[in-house]
Parts: sequence; C-alpha cells; structure tokens
Amino acid sequence: MASRAVPTHDDRPTFQEAATDLVSRPAAATGNTLARISLVLGALLILGIVGFVLKIMDVGLNDRSAWGYYVAMVSFMLTTAGGAPMISIAPVLAKANWVRPVMRISQMFSVVGILTAIMSIPLIFILPPLVEDGVWRRSIWFGSPPYTPHLWNTVAIFGLIFIGLALLWASSIPDLAAMRENETGWRQRWARRLAPNFIGTNSQWKSIRMRMGVLSAFYFLFLIFTHILFASDYIHAMVAGYKDAIFPMYHALTSLQAGVASVILASWAIRRWGHLERYIGLEQIWSLAKLELALSLFWFYFFFSAFIIFWYSRTPQTEKIIELFDQGPYLWAFLGTLVFIFILPMWTLMWNFIRVTINGPALIAVFILFGTLLDRIRLSVGAWSTEGINDTFLQVVPNTVWPDLWDIFMFLGMFSGAALLFIGITRFLPVLSIWEIQQSRLISKPGKFMRGNVLIVGKPD
Amino acid sequence: MQQRRQLNEIAVNRELLNGALDTPAWWKWAVIGLASVVIMGLVVFGFQTNRGLGVTGLSRPVFWGAYITTFVFWVGISHAGIMISAILRLTQAEWRRPVTRAAELLTVFSLLTALSFPLIHAGRPWRIIYWILPYDYARGIWPNIRSPLIWDPVAIGTYLTGSTLFLYVALLPDLAVLRDRTVGWRHAFYTMLALGWRGNPRQWKLQTVSGILLSALMLPIFVSVHSIVSWDFAVTPGVEGWNSTIFAPYFVIGAIHSGVSAVVTMMALMRWLWKWDNFIRPEHFDALARLLIVVGTAWFGFTLVEILFSLYTLEGSELAFRDVQAFQWPWSFFFVSFMMLAFFIPVPMWLFKSVRNSIPLMFWTSIMVNIGMWLERFLIIVPALSRKTPFVYTYGEYSPSMVEFAMMAWSLAFVGMNMLLFARFFPLVPLFESKESQIFTMDMKIGRATIPAVLREQE
Amino acid sequence: MAMSKVSILGLYEDPEDGARAMDGLHRAGMDPNDFDVLTGTPYPEGAFGEHVPQHRLFRFPLFGAMIGFTLAILFTAGTQLAWPIVTGGKPILAIPAMLIITYEMTMLFAVIMTVVGILLESRLPNFSTSAYDTRITEGLIGVVVAVEAGREEEIEGILRGAGAMEIIRA
Repeated sequence: MASRAVPTHDDRPTFQEAATDLVSRPAAATGNTLARISLVLGALLILGIVGFVLKIMDVGLNDRSAWGYYVAMVSFMLTTAGGAPMISIAPVLAKANWVRPVMRISQMFSVVGILTAIMSIPLIFILPPLVEDGVWRRSIWFGSPPYTPHLWNTVAIFGLIFIGLALLWASSIPDLAAMRENETGWRQRWARRLAPNFIGTNSQWKSIRMRMGVLSAFYFLFLIFTHILFASDYIHAMVAGYKDAIFPMYHALTSLQAGVASVILASWAIRRWGHLERYIGLEQIWSLAKLELALSLFWFYFFFSAFIIFWYSRTPQTEKIIELFDQGPYLWAFLGTLVFIFILPMWTLMWNFIRVTINGPALIAVFILFGTLLDRIRLSVGAWSTEGINDTFLQVVPNTVWPDLWDIFMFLGMFSGAALLFIGITRFLPVLSIWEIQQSRLISKPGKFMRGNVLIVGKPD
Repeated sequence: MQQRRQLNEIAVNRELLNGALDTPAWWKWAVIGLASVVIMGLVVFGFQTNRGLGVTGLSRPVFWGAYITTFVFWVGISHAGIMISAILRLTQAEWRRPVTRAAELLTVFSLLTALSFPLIHAGRPWRIIYWILPYDYARGIWPNIRSPLIWDPVAIGTYLTGSTLFLYVALLPDLAVLRDRTVGWRHAFYTMLALGWRGNPRQWKLQTVSGILLSALMLPIFVSVHSIVSWDFAVTPGVEGWNSTIFAPYFVIGAIHSGVSAVVTMMALMRWLWKWDNFIRPEHFDALARLLIVVGTAWFGFTLVEILFSLYTLEGSELAFRDVQAFQWPWSFFFVSFMMLAFFIPVPMWLFKSVRNSIPLMFWTSIMVNIGMWLERFLIIVPALSRKTPFVYTYGEYSPSMVEFAMMAWSLAFVGMNMLLFARFFPLVPLFESKESQIFTMDMKIGRATIPAVLREQE
Repeated sequence: MAMSKVSILGLYEDPEDGARAMDGLHRAGMDPNDFDVLTGTPYPEGAFGEHVPQHRLFRFPLFGAMIGFTLAILFTAGTQLAWPIVTGGKPILAIPAMLIITYEMTMLFAVIMTVVGILLESRLPNFSTSAYDTRITEGLIGVVVAVEAGREEEIEGILRGAGAMEIIRA
C-alpha cells in the first residue's frame, strides 16, 4: 500500500525571490530611520563606557559590593547572547525543519557575544584571587594557583564567542558566495574575502555540513562548560557556606530559556521591520513558543529542586541562603523573576490562542528577558554584597544594594551596544539563510493525499 | 537508510498478532519458569513477614539497603515508557512507532514492581495504610504531608494511573482488530474492552490528539516522579552524599539512561522471540543508541557536577564519605564497575555505527548499563548510611541476605511474567501505528536522490 | 441515528473508490452527519473529503485540573489542621510540601478527565448496531450511511456506482 500523496503547487518563495528579497533589496534600501536609530544607540553606548570609567574612578576595583550590578550585566549577556545560538543547534538534532528560517538570526547573536567578551575583561580585576592573606577560599578549583578562575573563565567566554563566530561564518559561506556574485561595492569585497572559492560543489557542501556539525557540538559543550565556570566562580563561590550543585545547571538552563526569548524577539522584529512575512511565519514563532513554554516549566523545576532541599534542611546555612536570594533584600527581584519567567509565560503560552500567534510569544519573550535580568540581579548583586567569604556560613544577610547612576549608564550602554552589534551584522549578512530556506523548500512540499491537504516532509539521514 | 518494507494491513495483522492469536511454543515454558520464580518470591516474602526483617541484612545503621535500591531501580526503569512515547510523539519522530507500546508497558509493570518494594521493605506492610491514607478517624491521626514518604506514593500513584490510562487509550484501535479476529469468550472480552470502536475519522482524530495531549500531561508527571524519589534522600541534611540540590534532575536523567536501555533490551528480545524483523529493525536500535549517547553523556555530566560540588565545601565528613564510596574495598570495586558499566564501556561503543546496528551488541550493552545503574543507586544509599556519624553508636557492614536476593529475582521474574502474559492477549507492537506508518511515509525524489519522507497534516 | 433509519455499509478495496462514494453521497444531498467512512488505519485528515470533526477535548484536562487542585488543597490543608503537630520545625501549613502533593493531584485529575474526554468526544462506548464488517480492520474501506426508509435503493446505487465490492445492510 504505497502512499498516495502527490505534490501540488508551492507558493513559498523561490530561490530567486529569496535572493532578491534578502541580498539585493536590503542593500538598496538602507533606511534613514535605521541610521538615526544607530546614532542614538551609539550615543548610549558611549554613555555606558563613560559610566564604566566614572565608576572605576568613583569606587575603584576593590569594593566588591559596588560591582554586583556589573557582574549581573555580564551574566545577563552571557545568558542571552550566549544561549541564542543553541536554537540553531538543538532542533537540528531532532531534524526539525521549522528552524531553518531562524537559524541565521540565532547564530548572529554570536556577534553580540563580542560585547560579552569585552565586558568580561574587567571581571578579571574585580574577582578576588583564590588566596588572600594566606587563606584559601572555597572554590571549584580547590588548591590551584590563585588566578586559575580568572584565567579559565576568560578562556571559556572568549572560546565560546570564537566558536559561535566560526559557526556563523561556516553556515554563511554559501550565502556569502551568493553575495559575492550578486552584490557590488564593499559588500562584494567583504563577501569575496570570506567566501573566496565556494561554488557549491558536492564536496564543498559536505565540508560545510561537517564543519557546522562539529562546531555545533563544540558550541553546546562549551556553553555548558562556560556556564558551570561562570556560575561557580562569579556567583556561587562569593557566598560563604553556599553549596548548591544544581546552581551551574540552573544558570545554563536559564541561558537556553533567555536564548529562545532573544531569538523570538529578534525574529519578530526582523519579520516586522524587514518585511519578511513570507519567510518567518507562524510556524517558526509557534515552535519557538512551544520550546519556551517547556523551558519555563523547567526553570521552576530547577529552582524548586534547590529550594525544597534548602527549605527542608533548616540549617543556619540554608536559612541564610534562602533569605539572601529569595526572601530578604532581593524579594522584589525574586518575585519579579518568578512572575516574569515562570508564572506569566506558563499561564499565557499554555493557551493556543496566545501561543499560536505571532505577537503573543514576542510579548512573552520581552517578559522573559526582563525576568532573566531580575534573576541575574538577585543572584549576582546578592552574592557580591556579602561579607566574610571564608566563613563556614553566611553570618549576616546584607541590605539591598541599589544601582547607582553609573550602573544605570552601563545598563543603557549594554543594551545599546548589543542592539548596535546586532543591527550591524545584519548589514553584512543576509538575515535569513538563503540556502537553508532553499533546502527547506526542497525538502518539504505541500501536497494532496486523495481529498486532503498534507505537507510532504523529507527526512534525510 | 531504507529498511522499511511495504506490508498490507492483513500482513501487519498476521505478523503482529502472532503472540496474541497463535501462541508460540516457547511461551508456555517461559511463563511457567517465570511464574515459579514469582511464587518462590511470594513464599520468601511470607517467610520474611512471619519472621520479621531480621532475615534481611538490614541492621543498625544501614536500614535502607537492597530493597530500597531495587525500588529506585524499578522506578528508574519505568521512566522509559513516557520518555520514549511522549517525547518522541511530541517531536514527531517517525521511528518511535514500533517502540511506544512496549515502552509504556514497561512503565506500568516496573512501577507496579517498584511500588511493592516499600511494602516489602516495611516488614509489616499493612501498617503503610496509616501513613498514606487519611484513614484513622477515631484517633484523629492523619498522614504527615510534610514527609517525602507521603510525596512518594502520591507521585507514583499518579504516574501509574496516568500511564495505565495512556496505555489503554492507545490500545483501543488494536482491541478493535482483535475483536474482529476472535470468536467465543475472547471475542466478548475484546468487544467489551474496545468499547465499540469503529475507526471513523472522529475516533482517529481523537486518537491522534489524545496522543499529543496525554504526552504533554504525562511529561511533567514523569519528571516529578523520580525527582520526588530523589528527595526521599536529598532532604536529609544528616547524611553525607544525600543532601544535594542536584539530586532531582540527576536522578531523572539517570532514570532515562537506565529506562531507555531497558527498552533496547526489550526490543531485542521482542525481535528474537516473536520474529518481528519487519517492524523492529536495526534502524530503530540505531536511533535509540544515538539517543542513549546524548542521555548517557548528560547523565555523566551531572555525575561529575554532583561529585564536584560535594567536595566543594571541603568538609571532613563529606570527604571521608567520598573516600569510602570510591576508594575503600568493597565499595571501590562497585564504584569502578558502576562507572565502567554505566558509561565508559557502552557509550564509546555506541559511537560506532556497526555497534548501533548490531542487535546482540545493543542487547548486551543495554544490560550492562542497567547493572551499572543498579550499582549507582546502591552506592548512593548504602555507603552513606554505613559510616559512623554522630549519634551512631553501633555500626557495621551491610550485605544483602539470601532473602533480599530472592526478592530481587522475584522482581525481575514478575516484570517478565507480566510482559509475557500481556503479550498473550494484546499486541506488543501497536498495529495501527505500523499501518499508519505505511500510509504516512513515502519516498521523495530530490533531483536524482531518493530520500524517505513523511506526511504531516496541514494545520 | 434515529430508529426509522436503515444502516447501509459499502465496502471498498481501493480507498479512492471510498472517497468517490463519499463524493457521491455529498452530491446526493445527504446530511454529513448521516454518513461516515470507517478505516482500519488513520488517514490524513480530509482524505475522503469527509467534514473535519470538531472536538472540545482541551476543556477536559482543565476541568480535571481544577477538581484535583481543589481536592489537594482540601486534603493537604485539612489533614494538617486536623492533626496540628509540628514536625521538623516546619510550619503547620507547609506550602512547599503542599505544593508537591497539590501538583501531583492536579495532574492526576487532569489526566483522568482527559481520558474521560477522549472517550466522550470519540463517542465511546458505542454499542450501536449500525452496519459493520470485520474486514475493515484488515484494510477495507467502509462507507456507512444512515438512510431514511425509502431511499435505500438510491443510496445503494451510489455506493455500488463508486465500485463497492459488497453492500451490507444492518
């Protein structure tokens, strides 16, 4: 009994249409609005840098509690921009076709990662060494040389960004080749430099696939590794008596969650203002929203797994930890986190009439990013404001530390810098992968099965 | 990979109902063999109930031993069913089709077995009713819901009920096939169970929707069950090696590791015993092995983080416990065996395509994983308790007695016997999934290449 | 199906013939609720030109969850208040512990009600005596029609015209 499906007319964009829409048109239509927005963002970025310099002059590098918000910022950047490229990696393993149009968007966040890497450099000077006045502090490095965490965290963050950029490059080569053929001026020169001899032979495609596979696997492993190091060294080890094995995994999980939110938001914006409604559709946003729903549930699971142990133990250690992060000075941030990255997403994305839309998940993505920011503030600022790093357990829960003016400047600078980098890279590369779109057109076709409509989806090994 | 053969519905019925409609010759002997072990187990249990728990090796300070280990082990195995059928349904993985039923069944029977172990372990099982049910009105005593020992039966009861219903709903279309192929009392039996299924578009649509909806509901339950089992240990601050925040996801991922391996074991047995070569194919083992590489590696990562953070505080008692667990005889032997069997031998082997496509190798490596995972639970539970800690004045070695070994053998035989009994009346491979797969898969031509394709309904 | 109606079943070897019989019945102006296609395998939706069945399954788990949640709150709060003994220094109404049991019971009742919903929405159990043939679960396509008295010949003609290998009257 062979299947009776036959392909029918396909009105999705063809390769030529895609090449016109994505390569030629944006170059022709460099809008004035975008230039003006970039100008404002650039000014804010400079404000951020000014804020950073003034902060150093104001408080120096030795007052740990003054730098909590800065650590929260780096943690937030690592969480969002670091997690986003995973969207182009994980669904591919399950052979999901829907992800193809947004793969490039997710990988472009590696460029935003450059800001993460730059911002992580001052952390080297803020993080205390492992040994002070002859006393070793607790860390995952045990008796290693005093600057081991400084070294390995920097290596991890830079390595992660490097792999992310390599992945972006590897997967863009066919599109760069298309730009090399169809563009003029500086864009052609740039494309020629990055994809000098790609002409699409079988072995070239094969090598691209292989490179992408290897880099994806490395990216995933490096992401987990980086989060384990960052969460352990920059947050966990700062609090006396804090022992929470799930914490690094929690940090990594929120990275996936915030990564999905970032990709939803970026796809929504590119669809809207890039006029790419034919390419990014309901299927992409909806599928991302399903992932987001699952990850929001997972957030609560990871949080509760730690919370129930601390709550049940009722030892001085665990009571102080709960007070520090959840009930005491950062209660507001904790409640915000709970509402914005769990309760609101769960109660909205559960319903089809919100999940199966384009605007609904985009709005929820904004909530999730806000919630993630609050989460990073409660953890980083809370951890960096404690005293007595070498005590057996936390003796005094410190008061709330509020951001000063310089912190607010730096926040503005961080967001603007990230947006500027993202907008910047869209000038250099097609925002959607033309060849992935072409392949998804080849691999899935609308068809008819007797009287019903179906989609025929190829599943190559 | 093209291993699929086109079969019409008559052929699918004939091949997949060979266990239910004509019983293979070996079946009777296998059931008799397993039933005698089951009966032996019941006799031993009667003996233990009569004599008391003194006939086990349990004694101060080790009061949780092989029974609790085996309980955790079977709860772990039970995670296969929902893992396979729910996650693969939601991701629309085509290769799930022949696997789902057997996996769900494994969930149900291993949960039943797991559930009996706390009863066996209690020594006086009838007393359990006092902790769990709001029962003793006269004295006003109620269950203490703050205790993880209450959370456990609630979670496992939910999971068992849910999986049984899930299994039944997905069995409906196949019950109709059996109804149409039988006469006499069996016809009456299947007619009653099939509830008058006709196979109209409404029923098929509900069948598809229910698969997805129930999967989405069962997944959060599945995650919670082993987490709550882990909290039986993890909420105890006084025992080194137990009081860890990572226990919940660590147990869940370990459960998936051992559960999916158990499904591999079972699929190999099904292919050999019922000769379902047309349905359970090397490509299915290949896909399961790929899944196992990911799951196994993730589990290993959690193991490393768990150990890293237990050493993190450098507290003397914690270090001493880890030393016992990993370096002192006989635990060191179990520890090395556990690491080798659960990770270092099987996972690197699965990296090779020739291993993934070899059914005997997959069978043996999957058994290896489960021996390793039993040892893991044993190493978590027993060494932690057998150390001398404050307020422990008598302490000694624990080793399981013959009674405990007998009950462990009973559990294996009980699951096996139930599986065989089920297979005598119901198909272990879902018929309608196999038939659906014949309709929903096709070949697709892209240029000169032919690739397998599946149909999706338009939203 | 009303009592005055006769149930007629046409059996087809080729699904395409079954689909043509459905087309014919549509053309003859039959009420779509009066005829249905029976298959031993799920076919893609709309393959036989049948009207797509609507269902309200998604309401059932929600309803079940509400029942489970309420029962769980009553059970956990009630038992603790009825036997107010402090254990482990936990408050009498220990919310994290209540949350676990409430969660499980909510999910339990959601699943139970979903299964109830699946049966109700599938119109099961259904032991009606409309025409049926056991070969449908062997791959034949059945088109079953509830015909008012007097139109039997016309409908049989349509079913036969589409290539029915056999016509069965209940």
